[in-house]
Amino acid sequence: MAGSDHRDLPSGERFTRRVLLLGLVQAAGFAALGTRLYQLQVMEGGRFAPLAEDNRIDFKVLAPVRGRIFDRAGIELAHNNENYNASVRLVREIDLPKTLKLISEIVTLPAGEQATLLAKAQKQARGSMMIIASDLSFDQIAAINLLAPQLPGVETNSAHRRAYEYGDAMGHIVGYVGRVERHALDDDPLMRLQSVKVGKSGVERGLELGLRGKGGTRKFEVDSRGRIVRHLEEIEPVQGSDVVLSVDLELQKKVVARLARERRAALVVLDVTTGEIVAMTSTPGYNPANLAAGLDETEWKQLSNGEDQPLLNRAIGGLYPPGSTFKLVTALAALEAGAVTAKDKCDCSGSFELAGQTYRCWKRQGHVTADLHKALRESCDVYFYNAANRTGISKIAAMARRLGLGQIYECGLPQQKRGIIPDPDWKRAEFRAGWLDGETILAGIGQGYVSTTPLQLAVMAARIATGRAVVPVIVRLELGIIPDFEDLGLDTQALALVREGMIAVVNEAGGTGAEAQVPGSRILVAGKTGTSQVRTNDQNDDAEDIWEHRDHALFVSYFPANAPRYAIACVIEHGGGGGAAAAPVVRDVIEYILADDPVSRPYPKSKVNAAKAMPSVSDDGGGGNG
Amino acid sequence: MVDQYMPVRRLSATEKLWQFPWALLMLVAVLAAFGATALYSVAGGRTEVWAEAHVLRFLAAATAVLVMAQVPVTIWSRIAYPAYGLALGLLVLVPLFGSEALGAKRWLSLGGLTIQPSELMKVGLVLALARYYQAVAPEDVSRLKCVIAPLVLIFVPVLFTLRQPDLGSASLFAALGVSLMFLAGVSSVYFAAGAAGLGLASPYIWAAMHDYQRRRVEIFLDPDKDPLGAGYHITQSKIALGSGGISGKGFMQGTQSQLDFLPEKQTDFIFTMYAEEWGFVGAIILLTIYAALLSMLLAMALRAQNPFSRLLIAGSAVTIFLYIFINVAMVTGMVPVVGVPLPFVSYGGTALTTLMAGLGLAMAADVDRNSPLWSPLSRFHPATGERLTAAGAPMAGILGIVPKRVLDRVRLR
Repeated sequence: MAGSDHRDLPSGERFTRRVLLLGLVQAAGFAALGTRLYQLQVMEGGRFAPLAEDNRIDFKVLAPVRGRIFDRAGIELAHNNENYNASVRLVREIDLPKTLKLISEIVTLPAGEQATLLAKAQKQARGSMMIIASDLSFDQIAAINLLAPQLPGVETNSAHRRAYEYGDAMGHIVGYVGRVERHALDDDPLMRLQSVKVGKSGVERGLELGLRGKGGTRKFEVDSRGRIVRHLEEIEPVQGSDVVLSVDLELQKKVVARLARERRAALVVLDVTTGEIVAMTSTPGYNPANLAAGLDETEWKQLSNGEDQPLLNRAIGGLYPPGSTFKLVTALAALEAGAVTAKDKCDCSGSFELAGQTYRCWKRQGHVTADLHKALRESCDVYFYNAANRTGISKIAAMARRLGLGQIYECGLPQQKRGIIPDPDWKRAEFRAGWLDGETILAGIGQGYVSTTPLQLAVMAARIATGRAVVPVIVRLELGIIPDFEDLGLDTQALALVREGMIAVVNEAGGTGAEAQVPGSRILVAGKTGTSQVRTNDQNDDAEDIWEHRDHALFVSYFPANAPRYAIACVIEHGGGGGAAAAPVVRDVIEYILADDPVSRPYPKSKVNAAKAMPSVSDDGGGGNG
Repeated sequence: MVDQYMPVRRLSATEKLWQFPWALLMLVAVLAAFGATALYSVAGGRTEVWAEAHVLRFLAAATAVLVMAQVPVTIWSRIAYPAYGLALGLLVLVPLFGSEALGAKRWLSLGGLTIQPSELMKVGLVLALARYYQAVAPEDVSRLKCVIAPLVLIFVPVLFTLRQPDLGSASLFAALGVSLMFLAGVSSVYFAAGAAGLGLASPYIWAAMHDYQRRRVEIFLDPDKDPLGAGYHITQSKIALGSGGISGKGFMQGTQSQLDFLPEKQTDFIFTMYAEEWGFVGAIILLTIYAALLSMLLAMALRAQNPFSRLLIAGSAVTIFLYIFINVAMVTGMVPVVGVPLPFVSYGGTALTTLMAGLGLAMAADVDRNSPLWSPLSRFHPATGERLTAAGAPMAGILGIVPKRVLDRVRLR
């Protein structure tokens, strides 16, 4: 009974009041918790959901197998050897030093290398994968997988290592692959895979997108230690397309061996009907197999900065004044412009004067008198000084471009140089100066500012041979496919005159390119010699003594002259006279072709996967008007 | 002489079972079932990891509660000070013989038994304070000497737990003790003065804190400071709660907890785990059950007839409330991570034992509520009817287990 302990009453009332107060405080506490939960779960819930998803889902990009590269007959030039690597996911729960120590019991991983890896791990983004050992054998991988419970976050993957065959002959064309450089990263998530290498040079670089293939993805759920809980979905990678090059290994090997007699030289053989590059060599060369294996710094320096720049593919990246081979351009431009006709004759006294300047003919005593035919055959400079002077630089430059000079061909060969076909606009842009008439005279014989690559000269020969806008390709076309090159719209008579001139160069008495004749063959070769000066006439007295001062020897040709199939351009740096140094090389190459015609090889369809239209990377290799 | 000694009619065991607050125990059982379900889910659908042990522990504890409720409340009042003294004694021994874990000495090994004296003290403190106010006349509670004595009872264990260091228990003792003083009717002036004093002292408290405690507070204030380090727990907990949304991810579908991104998911962070899977709706349901439990306890306190019983029951309510509030506030990032489990739901025997013991005492007090004639906890000696005074008893409590004879001798007059 409440009344019996009456002294409790006042305190009892106070207790009731205070209990209610406490109840209110507790209610307020619950209200605060409820509000906080409402804020987190209802109002901001959308913000946290993706964060939880990020925690949970992990993607792994699966590297595709890189496409192989074949020669035109189906001989493997670049393929992939399977090997394995081990990588670790860098998450906070993983004890990396301990992991490395365990791994080092299986794979040789010296302490120094472990330290390097630890330092590297510091710099990498959390959650990313880092390769800790590569080039592992199957046994090593099996041992690592056996230890998997003690190695959380460690994954083993099969990888592929690029291998090159016949690299000595094919190095410049095939190129090589290397690690992705930071600045070269594109949108493809593949590029962030450490095991993926990209083309650095040659076709490997030029046809990168097709060769690379498409990365797959594996989506899985991981726990906080990065361990895979369950696989969610997988998209298989698409293997890179194989490539059949237009280049014929057999011919290429012979040409490389022939050019190896020279110090620096380049030669291109084109199929004029298809534009296929059948052979393309640059001396000195390099073997990409050595690069793929990895070079030390001194070896690399020697290769990249060595005196003769073996990494440079001179056939597309070497720029040379075309010299007298450019007279073909001047002749066609002059005939089209009506500046000269077939019958016009020109007196050659050994020199030509314009605006107080004297321009000498290579033959000091002169050619007495020359028409176009003779001027081409004997490469009379004075005739072409006159012709160029009458035609004007603009028309000469336009003709040069029509014949394929001064441009880059997007055929899957990177690091091409554009060269220079000068005209008044170019000079204004380059030097902020007006064009001088004298410069037209020099340009008319392929000197002065004019510069071209051997590939461009081969294209020029092919275009003159066919009258069509032949475009070079490095990938072989399937049999029966003959591209329909656009007609250049050149006057047939003018073309005939120039072609006859080229036949005369090789086959008529007094022709500068007689060395190109194939003895004992009925095959008629057409050609044009070029001897381009490295220095001006006045300086050139010691030309025979110092190698670097000697003229470049050039020869462009096509054959058979009556039904052209091949065009060849050859440059021998500091080789001396084109007729003496370059023409015999071309003749030898023609003999190789006649002995074993590369065009007749069957298309190696059965060996190739998906050699469909290859996307090519446009790449002017920073050459420009260099 | 208004006050007089009343003879007592003891309730029979059957009567006591009839009086037992079954509804309250059922509510606690529901909470334990929530815990078992969450523990089943967090173990990836296995009972043997946590859920089974949780249920068994609860059943054992519930049996103990039933037994405790049979004990006459007079017995509890007798052992109140001895219990406090025992807990304090063990607390003192911890720094000398305790075992260390995670940078703190909290555990004591006695034979094969590992105990955490600070948990024992959570019950002991309630008992001691309730016992103290039973002996103080209502008109005396706000007298200075009657305020200082309970403050001593509170701050001695606070100091020892702070030294361990165990910030969670220390702040719990302080909050619990102050709440009981408030319920006992101490004048509001003291609380206002205490709040002001705490505000002034806070810089010194900060300076006295351990580095890891300070770091916890700093990271609590700005968890983004160290999202993968010490702020990791809070960040992951918030992600789990937020991604649970209104209706949750579904039973056993909580990715954050199932995939181990959530730390301590079966103990301190079980609320997060539960709310990730059951969403805002589930969280509110759980909080509502807790609110119902606390309301029942407070109602029980109101119908109790003497200060000892009232404070025993209210003390249990305050302890449970503090656990809930600190735990949920912690996992939602409102207070620093201090390591307080969620009552009856979190896995772990220590906190469950403490909380159930508190409930057992509350129920014992409630079962005896209808024996007002006895006035079991009068401020008068049950045998002699002599009036007991306020000063001696707490002193005796602090000194430890003191035989009743000694206690009797200490009283004045």
